[in-house]
Amino acid sequence: MFVNFAMKNIRAYRNRSLVTILLTTLTTAMLVFATAFMDGSHEKMLQNAVEIYPGYIQVTQKDFRQKPSLDNLIFDAGAVRQVVGQRSGIEGFAARFETFVLYAGDEKAVGGMLTGIEPEEEQKLSRLASSLVDGAYLDNQDDNKLYMGYELARRLKVQVGDHLSFVGTGADYSFAADNLQVKGVFKTGLFEFDASAAFVNKSYFNKVMAAENYASHFIILPANPDDADLIATALNGDLDTEYLAESWRTTMEGLVQAMLVDSIFGYLTLSVIFIVIFFVILIYTWLTVFARMREIGVLRAVGTMPGQIFKMLVTESVLLAFCSVVLGGIIGAALAYYFHLHPIYFSFSEEQFKQYGLAASAMPTAFAPLVIMRDMAVMFVLSVGSTLYPIIKANRVKPIEAIHHV
Amino acid sequence: MNHIKIVLVILFYVLFFNTGASLAASSVDDIVKKVEDNLNGETAYLQFTMVVQTKRSKRTMKMDSWSIGKDKSFIKITYPGKDRGITFLKVDKAMWQYVPRIEKIIKIPASMMLQSWMGSDFSNDDLVRESSISEDYQATLVGEDEKEYFLDLHAREEAPVVWGRIRMHISKKHYLPTTVSYYDEDDILVRVLDYLEVESFGAHYYPTRWLMLPKDEEKAGHLTEIVVEHAVFDEKIDEAYFSKRALKRFSR
Amino acid sequence: MFRVLLRIALASLGRRLSRSMLVVLMIAMSLWGLLFMEGIYDGMTEQFIDNAIRSDSGDISIFAKGYRLDPGLEKAIERFDEIEHVLTADNRIRSHVRRLRQDGLIATAHYSRNAAIYGVELEAEERHGRLASYLREGVYDFGKKGRGVILGSRLAAKMKVGLGKKIILSAQNRDNDVSALSLRVTGILKTNNMALDENAVFIGIDKARELLLLPAGASQISIMVHDKEEVPAVQKQLAAQFANLDVMAWNSLYPALHQGREMMEVFNLITSLLVFCVAGLGIFGVMLVSVLERLREFGIMLAIGTTFQEIRTIVFVESFILGLSGYCCGSLLGGLTLFYFYQYGLDLTMFSAGLDAFGMDAITYALIRPSYFLTALAAVTGATLISVLVPLRILQKARPIEAINKI
Repeated sequence: MFVNFAMKNIRAYRNRSLVTILLTTLTTAMLVFATAFMDGSHEKMLQNAVEIYPGYIQVTQKDFRQKPSLDNLIFDAGAVRQVVGQRSGIEGFAARFETFVLYAGDEKAVGGMLTGIEPEEEQKLSRLASSLVDGAYLDNQDDNKLYMGYELARRLKVQVGDHLSFVGTGADYSFAADNLQVKGVFKTGLFEFDASAAFVNKSYFNKVMAAENYASHFIILPANPDDADLIATALNGDLDTEYLAESWRTTMEGLVQAMLVDSIFGYLTLSVIFIVIFFVILIYTWLTVFARMREIGVLRAVGTMPGQIFKMLVTESVLLAFCSVVLGGIIGAALAYYFHLHPIYFSFSEEQFKQYGLAASAMPTAFAPLVIMRDMAVMFVLSVGSTLYPIIKANRVKPIEAIHHV
Repeated sequence: MNHIKIVLVILFYVLFFNTGASLAASSVDDIVKKVEDNLNGETAYLQFTMVVQTKRSKRTMKMDSWSIGKDKSFIKITYPGKDRGITFLKVDKAMWQYVPRIEKIIKIPASMMLQSWMGSDFSNDDLVRESSISEDYQATLVGEDEKEYFLDLHAREEAPVVWGRIRMHISKKHYLPTTVSYYDEDDILVRVLDYLEVESFGAHYYPTRWLMLPKDEEKAGHLTEIVVEHAVFDEKIDEAYFSKRALKRFSR
Repeated sequence: MFRVLLRIALASLGRRLSRSMLVVLMIAMSLWGLLFMEGIYDGMTEQFIDNAIRSDSGDISIFAKGYRLDPGLEKAIERFDEIEHVLTADNRIRSHVRRLRQDGLIATAHYSRNAAIYGVELEAEERHGRLASYLREGVYDFGKKGRGVILGSRLAAKMKVGLGKKIILSAQNRDNDVSALSLRVTGILKTNNMALDENAVFIGIDKARELLLLPAGASQISIMVHDKEEVPAVQKQLAAQFANLDVMAWNSLYPALHQGREMMEVFNLITSLLVFCVAGLGIFGVMLVSVLERLREFGIMLAIGTTFQEIRTIVFVESFILGLSGYCCGSLLGGLTLFYFYQYGLDLTMFSAGLDAFGMDAITYALIRPSYFLTALAAVTGATLISVLVPLRILQKARPIEAINKI
């Protein structure tokens, strides 16, 4: 019965219905999309930051992160490899060995990182291979071939095909030096990284650095990146207590928090817009409810209980809110889905992204049905909530006053 | 009035020049000077073995070194085979390295000065600054027994040295250090260098076993031992060793 | 006459007091939110830029040709006196400082790290960019003999050194030898200019000259102008005058910050537009209803000789009063809020790890610009006036006189 009454009234007070539907729809769509955009771009930025090099999960010797010395290496890479290989939910993994060396070109000597990687496995785990700008990426047969950062190459004044040397310390603290030939140059867009990092095949690295079966860390790619924390925890159970598996949420805490701050400001802006919107819905409800004051007075006079009137009016709001939230949700979700598939390209803010080590300007929106439902629910509550005040206010008016309301 | 002054002056002398130690300030400096001279010699040619021990490994290296005073030195690695022919040249405060495998002379940049030298517990800087003790530190005698003087070397404010204080035990017999402890600015012990087994090489006495023990927690289990196998002091050494060209020339 | 109309307008607003209050409240709240947002966001953006300009780039920086790409002592700015003469003579330029920079090593008995050594003149820097305000610990002084050193906060943390501690600074000097200095930490700076906090070691420029054996010359001359509007003009002129040097404005030295500011402007504009459109819709609804429910009233007024012009004035005045009251309340609220955050700042210390990753100050001080209030006034006026256009049209079409006869 209430529904029928409500439907009738919704049709009768077209203006209010229209504005309420319009605004609630718009707001819902906006919230759904804005959330999708923020989550999506944050996810993308983190994903980039994680995937360029650090990886979703890292296994290190337990003291390595605090004291990254040659005494705190993984000294039995084979054992770690075996344990990690047995865990399910892992897409791939590879060992790395990072050291600090002095590179010497013909003109200049520059300090930098020399890292031994397993080229073919690494290719699946990080964006090193796809960041190639000149020459070629490494392969598992490579000997003294170097894959180096663009800025580092520039600092040393070398190009693909050129020779340079390194001087460093092997895993056993012995002296290590060799000639290298530049095979490829990469550019991730992260200046610091491009200016200091270079890579060689780990089997070659093992020979010159006396690092057979050693690693400074393993990186692991989970089949589903969302499981990174779970897998890290599980690995800590599997692995010897000597080792520690940590997900990117731990290793890149600062960035994670930065994204949170950004979200907070995003929601702050949205809430300013929402305040206005809900004031408008409130005002329109107010206007319709008071336009019907006389009708309400008559209903009261013929014996309708205030509770029933309240129910009737709220049913109207609920119907309106529901329709618009569903409509808005669909629009927002459609947009989110579209831009999920077709990322938005921000060419104008490229520099900014780089500055924060994010190196990405194509931002897909997130498409997460649960989050969309959450936003819709929030909007529904707000929309209905903002009509309550005028409804309660109208219900308080005495029947006689209501009838005489002009 | 005058009497009081005289008493004060006497008291002053008593307090500052005669407490505990039996040596005046100038003779403390003499001790340090003598120790430095004894360690460096006018010229020195040494053959020594360096054993670097870490938590996991133990490596042995052999090398020859030629030096004039404390400003010029040349070192050549002779063992193991893979490092054979690596040479180092130090002239004043600059240091170069030649690596035959890459056929390059590399000047050790400022940023590498505090890195470990050949994986040992000595830094490049230790080699370069080896013996500027008398310039960089203010020595005071803090005690002695029948065999040794105990000296505290406090870094001069303007001296570019990382240590806050060095405690040096010096044998009275040879005027050579026995134990040298390096403290940081907060007087926390960072490393200890022991000079053991003094032998005579001609007229020259010289410690033939040196033990460097880092005390930093991060370097637990590390120890570097140098054993001097052969030494010749104060004979003429060819100046040709101390040029950049020598790095390559004497590498073979 | 206008006073009568005004009284009529006020009376009709008063009759629907709650409703009128709602509209006023809506405008006030939206304005409050907008002002707060604008002030905080602008404050944040400008703080970013300000930090970079004050601690490093100035409004304009001069380098030797090619220094930025491949820095080295051999690329020092020479003939400083000549440049200084030009800079001093130009009355658009407020101040300038010179800095000598070289990469080197900072060391203690336990740790060593790469560092960027800046030889600076503290007094000049203070006049130039109020460098002392970034001091977190210690004093803004290199001591009597210039043996003091001021470190970037992150560098100090990584080296685990505090005030009074000795550090050894070594660097390649002009003769390509390594020279070193022993210094004591007198201060720790946090500029939130990440590169500086992470690497910078500030020493007196004379000490730097002594260390680097460079009796004259500078790596960078940082310039501040009086009026920021003149930055491009001054930059252009200096670039033409010193063709053998690189003269760069801050926004080409920090393109990311420049982009950030532009993005923020667009973002603020879009938000404001949205808010005012929606608020306009609210006013529109109320004015529409208020016109429609008074059709009879207006009919009678017309019948007794009131002109439509006058009725229109009444409607405009009503709408305008609503808008203006909302504007006044909102501005007052927003202004006070901004003033609070201008004075005390918005403290986000709880997210400090994230803020540090952004290079953001933990406390953001709001900006208050007259333009916020002027634009808002224009927007509110616009919204109130536009939103009554349709109701008036309806009123005109409805022929109020006929309305009297209805019912």
